[in-house]
Amino acid sequence: MAETEVLPDIEHVEKTDSQSDLAPAWLVICWNDPINLMTYVSHVFQAVFGWNRQKAEFHMLQVHRQGKSVLVRTTMEKAEHFVHELQKYTLHATMEREP
Amino acid sequence: MNLKRMGKRGFVFQLSGREKRILFETFKLYPLVPATHHRLSKAAGDQSEENQRLLEESLTEQRTANRQQLEALLNDPGRFKKSGSNYRLPLKASELEWLLQVFNDVRVGSWLALGEPDEDKPPAITPENFRYLVAMEVCGAFQSVILAVLGAPESAEGLE
Repeated sequence: MAETEVLPDIEHVEKTDSQSDLAPAWLVICWNDPINLMTYVSHVFQAVFGWNRQKAEFHMLQVHRQGKSVLVRTTMEKAEHFVHELQKYTLHATMEREP
Repeated sequence: MNLKRMGKRGFVFQLSGREKRILFETFKLYPLVPATHHRLSKAAGDQSEENQRLLEESLTEQRTANRQQLEALLNDPGRFKKSGSNYRLPLKASELEWLLQVFNDVRVGSWLALGEPDEDKPPAITPENFRYLVAMEVCGAFQSVILAVLGAPESAEGLE
């Protein structure tokens, strides 16, 4: 039998993911508001989530074309934090329990 | 308003006298979006009244802090220095970030005050709503300048 290989950093991340799978999952959703500039929405996603421009623009276009985009799936506490951060920028964001 | 130069200390914008007056008039409207406009959740069952109240309190506190910061900026003798027929406005990157929030609050608040018109259906202009129409467009213009500066720092380096 092969010895178990320990990879501390990766294991830590996997444990975190596994634990969050057990917790009630919440979705942070951004809804389309025709008044917000597309470049502004993309900028806010980068500022709040630390995303690169490509990912931020993908979600911004999803909001623009489909009316909404699920930005992250996370715990209730983190979802509240993200919704608050997005609303500080006057984006139309809510948190919804995952169906 | 345009970017005059940028460096380690931040950015220096240049405004005409007219732009400065419009900017000051626009800032008078802040904050414009009511805290009750924001909802934590669309599903009624997912949201306790207590959490909603906390969200509104937090947003109100944040806007009060932004308003104070805005007053300090407008009354700072180091800002809006006259340079020929124009004015120079030095700003740090962190100040650009909250100014974006201020501009978008006034832009969205103006849009709400105008009855949330569609882009292809502009509202009928009246003496009562005219200032909101102007504020909405002015904020969008200032936001675009700031976003261009924040989004393309490499291209502006040569300005210093």
